[in-house]
Amino acid sequence: MPFRQKLKAITFPLTVLSWLLLLLSTLSNTNGRAAEWLGGPWPEWLTLTAQAAFAAGAFIFQRGRPDPLHGNDFVGLLRRLVLGPGMLATACVGLHLVERFIQAELPTNDQTFFACIYTVNLGLFVVFLAYINYSWRSLVLFRASPLVQRQWIWFEVLLGFTLLFRLLDWVPPHPLDYFILGGLGTFGVYLSGNQQWVAYLSRRQKWEAVLLQIAIMLALAVFVAYLLRIRLDPKLVAPAPQHAFLLLNAFFGTFYAFMGLMVTVFNLPTASVFEQKREEILSMQRLTQLIQKGQTEEEVYAMLFDSAVQTMDADAAWITLEEDNETTTIQHYHVLPEQASEVERLLQEYKLHQIEYLNNDLSGSSGFRDLHLPYGSLIVMPLRSAKRRFGALYMLKEHRYGFDRENLSILQTFASQTVLSIENLQLVHISLENQRVQEELKIASAVQDSLIPKNLPIDSWFDISSYAASAKEVGGDFYDFLHLPGRQLAILIGDVSGKGVTAAFHVAQMKGIFHALMQENYLARSEREKFPVPSRFMTQANTALARCLEKAAFITASLYIIDYENRGFVFARAGHCHTLYYHSIKEEVSYFQTTGLGLGIIRNESYEKHIKNQFYDYNPGDVMVIYTDGIVEARNAEQEEYGEERLLYMLEQTFSMEADEIKNQILSDLAQFSAGQPMHDDQTLLVVKFKSTQPDVLN
Amino acid sequence: MKITQHASADTLTLVLDGELDASSSVLLDTELTKPETLQFQKVLINCQKLNYISSAGLGVFISHLQQFQDAGVKLIFFNMQEKVRNVFEILGLDTLMTIVPSETEATAI
Repeated sequence: MPFRQKLKAITFPLTVLSWLLLLLSTLSNTNGRAAEWLGGPWPEWLTLTAQAAFAAGAFIFQRGRPDPLHGNDFVGLLRRLVLGPGMLATACVGLHLVERFIQAELPTNDQTFFACIYTVNLGLFVVFLAYINYSWRSLVLFRASPLVQRQWIWFEVLLGFTLLFRLLDWVPPHPLDYFILGGLGTFGVYLSGNQQWVAYLSRRQKWEAVLLQIAIMLALAVFVAYLLRIRLDPKLVAPAPQHAFLLLNAFFGTFYAFMGLMVTVFNLPTASVFEQKREEILSMQRLTQLIQKGQTEEEVYAMLFDSAVQTMDADAAWITLEEDNETTTIQHYHVLPEQASEVERLLQEYKLHQIEYLNNDLSGSSGFRDLHLPYGSLIVMPLRSAKRRFGALYMLKEHRYGFDRENLSILQTFASQTVLSIENLQLVHISLENQRVQEELKIASAVQDSLIPKNLPIDSWFDISSYAASAKEVGGDFYDFLHLPGRQLAILIGDVSGKGVTAAFHVAQMKGIFHALMQENYLARSEREKFPVPSRFMTQANTALARCLEKAAFITASLYIIDYENRGFVFARAGHCHTLYYHSIKEEVSYFQTTGLGLGIIRNESYEKHIKNQFYDYNPGDVMVIYTDGIVEARNAEQEEYGEERLLYMLEQTFSMEADEIKNQILSDLAQFSAGQPMHDDQTLLVVKFKSTQPDVLN
Repeated sequence: MKITQHASADTLTLVLDGELDASSSVLLDTELTKPETLQFQKVLINCQKLNYISSAGLGVFISHLQQFQDAGVKLIFFNMQEKVRNVFEILGLDTLMTIVPSETEATAI
């Protein structure tokens, strides 16, 4: 590697030096004063060596320069070839003309000036060839296989060998020289077949490439013409140059340009097809990008429409969208609404409106002929996903056989891309909507939370402790307290069947019914009738709910009215869980076995017969446990229910504790029982403990 | 939940197998909603393999109760497990619906 780098670094000075040596040795062979001054004539081998060294140097230098092809800028490469080396040809012609002009004005036999011009032009020609051939190398090796890359290196090496022929003064015997030159020429022709780059040109670029290649060939022709002419000039003193090497290189340079020209010219008619494909790819890319940008549905349809019309080169087109059995046209191009609707109607008649449809001979089918449309071809592409149909894209062309199968498959891709992006947009929309619903559920949850009494009644007669948990954001359990005048307290507990938002609505409704019905009736004749007794309350609540509860829904509830003045309470159980009770006198825990039908099961007056009041005189130290079925129906890993018996057992163990402590003991037992199990139902638990020392009511 | 049914001249028997919860109650509702159900004099529900009934399951029977009464169709439950019967009783449904211990008694009604 270091050797190569060193070689690269000294190539340019060596090339310049060898050209100067060539100039001097040529001058030493002239008849002018310079020759005398140089002490010439120098031996011929020196001139030839200088020539060979210069040619080799110029090629190696050019070989080491950066790739003249930048990306896919083929036209740029050709343009630089014409502008750069092309100028060399112009300079060559210019110098030659100047020399001729001077010769004509001042006729002289002195060969000095002539020799100078010749050496300069020869130098220009070699540099020109090196530049051209290494530009062609970039084109030959463009996307070439490793095989072609190896072939090119062999080509370079073999051409390099031909430099030695003249240097060693070896002329191959007659048939062999033809073989060598012919063989290498054929190799060059073979390599000229590598013209893949032409395919990457657009139509305009192809025209440009044709003109540039003609210009390059002209520049080559100028040099060849000059050298052929100068060969016969009597004033030429230098020995014939390395003709095999230069000839082969000039031949390859010209032939590659010629082949490129031919390939480009023959590709011109198909250029529009390539451009169309290119446009299709670009349209598809544009459609794909729209998906990522997440724009609106209208924009996606508009993009599809523009891309399809442009790509298909349609003369008329429109898009229809179907929503709720209604078809609307959202985009149209060069088509009258009545024409569009007539085509749609006809397709519907033929039952063809749901499928991909291609008709390239509209005048051949009687239905379309009767429409007198100025079009010959029709393509219909439905926009649909596996789940639903969004609409359809219709395209028309004036001439018959305007569309082919490929058009159909491209439209298919367009349609599926569009449907994909529309569905994506809709999914985004739905997820945003879900998010909004979630937010609203949070609000609902907060609202419901505010419905649950935060401040438990504090009294000198009893302790109350409460617990409530919802399985979902909003629940169907409820409880409430209300102090009634005359040392009475009403406690309501209940459960709405079902869960979620509907249940939560009925919870709010029950709370409203509770507060509305528990109003003092001033017309009541006796103290006892001022407030509805629990069974009356249930009947009224049942009537109120009858109209608004869904058919399969019902509500269970229990209402307790505790009267401390009389040390008793009355309650009614409307299908709700039994009340668990500790009787301190009997030192016994049991469930109150009462009957009572849930609310909303019978929705007429006969409900009254199904609900009863239960009266009980409590004693100090009694404990009442009120709950919903979420407690007793909680399950463990074996899918067994917590059950009434276990709850009863818990109260037997804890009745002597404070209300709060009893509740906590029950809850921790429940948590232990249902550990690791999801919460299926809302849970509510109230513990009421009548204090052991009841204040004297008379004070 | 699996629901199988046997029909004789005037009796339709539905055998409920599994848990009747919110999702399976839809199946039951479909069965009971069929117009031909009201053609029978009796609809017997075999609850022997009914392990659990949720409020949604109860709701299905409740919602059809009035309709059955109006059409003169008797709805009779039999072979009910104790805990399921308890659920019916707590809600007070035992006063509205006929629940008998065995199939013999159910057919005798």
